[in-house]
Amino acid sequence: MNRFLFFIIPALILACHPPAPKNTPPTAGGADTTQVQTTIRYAHNFTIDYHDGFKVVHILDRNGTRQDTIEYVLVQIGRPTPAGYPRAQVIPIPVQTMIALSSTHIGFADFAGVADRITGLGNYRYVNAPIVRENIRTHKTAEVGLDENINNELVISMHPGLLMAMSNPEANAAKFKVLTDAGIPVIIVAEWLENTPLGKAEWVKLIGALTNREALVDKKFDSVVKTYDSLTQLSRQTKTHPHAIIGMPFKGTWFLPAGDSYMAHFIEDAGGGYNWASTKTTGSLPLNFESVAPEALTAQYWLNIGYVTTKQDILAKDPRYASFQSFKMGNLYNFDKRTNDLGSNDYWESGVVNPQVVLADMISILHPELLPGHTLVYYRQLQ
Amino acid sequence: MSDPQTLLTTHELTAGYHVGGRSVAIAGPLSVSIQPGRMICLLGPNGSGKSTLMRTLSGLQPALGGTIDILGDRGSSLHNPSRLARKISLVLTDPVRHNNLTVYSLVALGRYPYSGWLGTLSEEDKRIISWAMGMTGIEDYAQRKMGMLSDGERQKVMLSRALAQDTPLMMLDEPTAHLDLPSRIQIMQLLHKLARTTQKGILLSTHELDLALQVADEVWLLQKAGGKLEKGVPEDLVLNGIFETVFDKEGIHFDKETGSFHIHAGSSKKIGLTGEGAAVFWTRRALQREGFGVTSEGLPSIHTDGSTWTLKSLSESRSFTSMAGLLQALRTKSISHEDIH
Amino acid sequence: MMKPARFHKDLSPRSAGNKAWRWVALCTLLILIFFLDIALGPVRIPLKSVLRIILSLPGEDSTGHYIVSQIRIPKACTAVIAGCGLSVSGLQMQTLFRNPLAEPSVLGVTAGASLGVAAIMLGGGSIITLYTIRELGISGSWLITLAGCLGAAVVMLLVIMISRKVRDNMMMLIIGVMVSTATLAIISIWQYFSDAELIKDYLLWTFGSLGGVTGTQLYILGLVTLTGLVLAFLSSKTLDALLLGDNYARSMGVTIHRARVIIICSTSLLAGSITAFCGPIGFVGIAVPQMARSLFSTSSHRILIPACCLIGTGLILLCDLIGQWPGNQTALPINIITALVGAPMVVWIILSKNNLSIYG
Repeated sequence: MNRFLFFIIPALILACHPPAPKNTPPTAGGADTTQVQTTIRYAHNFTIDYHDGFKVVHILDRNGTRQDTIEYVLVQIGRPTPAGYPRAQVIPIPVQTMIALSSTHIGFADFAGVADRITGLGNYRYVNAPIVRENIRTHKTAEVGLDENINNELVISMHPGLLMAMSNPEANAAKFKVLTDAGIPVIIVAEWLENTPLGKAEWVKLIGALTNREALVDKKFDSVVKTYDSLTQLSRQTKTHPHAIIGMPFKGTWFLPAGDSYMAHFIEDAGGGYNWASTKTTGSLPLNFESVAPEALTAQYWLNIGYVTTKQDILAKDPRYASFQSFKMGNLYNFDKRTNDLGSNDYWESGVVNPQVVLADMISILHPELLPGHTLVYYRQLQ
Repeated sequence: MSDPQTLLTTHELTAGYHVGGRSVAIAGPLSVSIQPGRMICLLGPNGSGKSTLMRTLSGLQPALGGTIDILGDRGSSLHNPSRLARKISLVLTDPVRHNNLTVYSLVALGRYPYSGWLGTLSEEDKRIISWAMGMTGIEDYAQRKMGMLSDGERQKVMLSRALAQDTPLMMLDEPTAHLDLPSRIQIMQLLHKLARTTQKGILLSTHELDLALQVADEVWLLQKAGGKLEKGVPEDLVLNGIFETVFDKEGIHFDKETGSFHIHAGSSKKIGLTGEGAAVFWTRRALQREGFGVTSEGLPSIHTDGSTWTLKSLSESRSFTSMAGLLQALRTKSISHEDIH
Repeated sequence: MMKPARFHKDLSPRSAGNKAWRWVALCTLLILIFFLDIALGPVRIPLKSVLRIILSLPGEDSTGHYIVSQIRIPKACTAVIAGCGLSVSGLQMQTLFRNPLAEPSVLGVTAGASLGVAAIMLGGGSIITLYTIRELGISGSWLITLAGCLGAAVVMLLVIMISRKVRDNMMMLIIGVMVSTATLAIISIWQYFSDAELIKDYLLWTFGSLGGVTGTQLYILGLVTLTGLVLAFLSSKTLDALLLGDNYARSMGVTIHRARVIIICSTSLLAGSITAFCGPIGFVGIAVPQMARSLFSTSSHRILIPACCLIGTGLILLCDLIGQWPGNQTALPINIITALVGAPMVVWIILSKNNLSIYG
């Protein structure tokens, strides 16, 4: 008998205290303890390192180098803050309430299924997600202001679990010092640093990490990537690459996306041709109208034209645009189809985290024969 | 009714200015007139309102009361600048910073009321400009820049400009201020000659009492308090004692005899002086500077003939060959009690 | 009155012959620069083609035709208009205020134009304002230009009203500078509350550009500028008299108030409209009058005004040429170039003449 107990009791003890679990499904409330580790494959400007009880996030600067990074330590609630990260800001996770200052971040939150955790946003006008709009209607979500006009006192009184800001990594500290000093965690979500569509969308994994929802986010994101890749395959098979021009000049200066920029990659992936695809930078090229004119006159498509609604508006800006081939053929497209009654454009919200849909739109524009059944979601042809 | 020859007449004119709603009268009411060919000097102590009166008479600022009649224009027609420009030309004390303007172009500006609509000069205009420059003797400077002239030369240029404007009346506000003595004399002489030769009526305000008394045909004396104006031929004003009253102040005295101001008040120290010629005049000056009151007789006394001075007192008689010596002796000598009257 | 009877020698300057030479040389140079501005640009177009396009001979490549006739020629014309307008308004300001450093912006008119433009671009703070304004039927680039003209006009009226009360020109100068400062402060407030994108757009506008004025807009700008220039030229004589100061000018027959109003109107028409159409362009207003005075050795405005037109046009065409040097794809705003070219020029003028003056 004694010998039996001698074996049973340790077994019972072992049974009652299982070792650190690797794959526990998420539970409601603050008990998420997943350690699903996600990998970042497309984004260059942030990294997530996983450790026991905490995750370390680095937001890198524009060049993707490790200088001037911001460091965040995401500590599981209930676990101790690790030593060895003196510069880092500590964020307790999983975050239950958050303030989003950018509609793109609302898009991320919605994708990750945590849109109802948004208790505050910068401006009531910049939102499309139905859940958030409902929460605004029922006064569950506050308006805290943007940029310089953030109502610090309101934010502090709300005690959000996190404030997601859109800012320059270099400029982060001073701006939000008041809030961080008051104990509000602030994270700079700088998805705009990315120059590829998938890279930008991948920042949703940061939200996943903050809410311990890596599993769900990864699954959905993999689906996005799969669709995006298969669309790219489709467009690569075309023989022609019709040229497109982007944007509109202002007073003689035409800012065009450079060859390595977000928009240029989109065009390339959609099977289009872009005159400046060989330029190496990721930003914009400030070109004079004359230099762009030869291309603008012959390009067949004109995308992302600017604040215009009709062809008449384009002519009103400058009658010389009538000579553009794209204008004569009527191939004029703006991505403002999903603009709601508040004037907020969903392209900047769900569009960022669903680049495969945007890509489908663009392929449908540039190569209608490839996706015959597709109706434009974000893009609209100007009349 | 004004004499048809008269260029300017005022009737009960009050000159002053408005400050914050109130009007402050400076000079007047006064009734004066300017005849052709006469040079009139407006004199008066500082603060008596000469400038304000000049500005009012020349149309630069409106009168507070009374009327001005300039060659038939009066009242509101006076305020038509282009009409007035053919009647009065001015030389002012406004700062002259025209360093790079050529003399010719500045004088040519005087033809403004007459030149073409773009400022083009006719042959007649050019002739008058040359004449004006000739009158003031600045022909040689025609292409020089103003910045390269002396103060006196610049003033002549401004005078030329006013001449070129070819008006019956000329008014000058302190034309000799800031000039050296030779230039001052030149300008005053020039003005006198101009009045005579061109039959213009010239009115100028000045502090040059000495020169004014010599060249002015008429003097207007503006008194400080009350703004009353005395006018007349200079000698009348002097001999009537009006001059003295206007300028007399503590320790300042206008001497009718010499036509100059005495800087030094008389004192109880009296000394007698006899002699002839310039020596007497200058010895009196020196003695007054030393603080003596000079009489024509009594002891102690000094006699001079121009080269020697003899000092006689009750006790002694001494001779000196220079003024300096005399004065030195007077300083060191203690004059005994009985010598003082 | 005694009239000079005997012959007096003519003392007027003998250099009339020299002056003719200068005009001819200047005009020739100008035509050359104008042609160069049309012939040279980032996109290489053969000279022969350019000539054929100017002469409207058929058969040229449509891209080349588009570039020369739709981009370069309107731009060069705008440059001519801006050059004339800005330099003559600068000349008037320097004479009115007897200040060699005065320029068109001194009355606050250019700030007023900026205010109007900023009201459209920043004031509402969002696209919603533009939607609302579109309901009124005005849209496109007209809106911004109209707003600029309106802003300039408002300031012009304000300054005219003030000029009635103020006798002294120095006071007017100070008031003009204050009006300028106040309007720029309002613009700063709007910038503070605006989105980054809008601020960037407005900032781009402040860099100035000769390129946006085409078709009807060019005709209107030309007409307004011509009016302003004619007003200025008709005031030549008055401007000459004003060189001596208000008192002397009055004594020579100038109605000071009326003269001021005409000068203010002319300057506002010139500077205000050019700023509304092209954005603020600096240095031309200060530098060119000095150069004209230097080159022609005169202070007579009936010569200086045409001289300023020629020299101002030449300067801006030159700056435009520099900005569109063949092969240079990047857009260089005109304001930057006029500053880089104009600032050393002003310094050189000051140093070489030793005393900066408005009197030639």
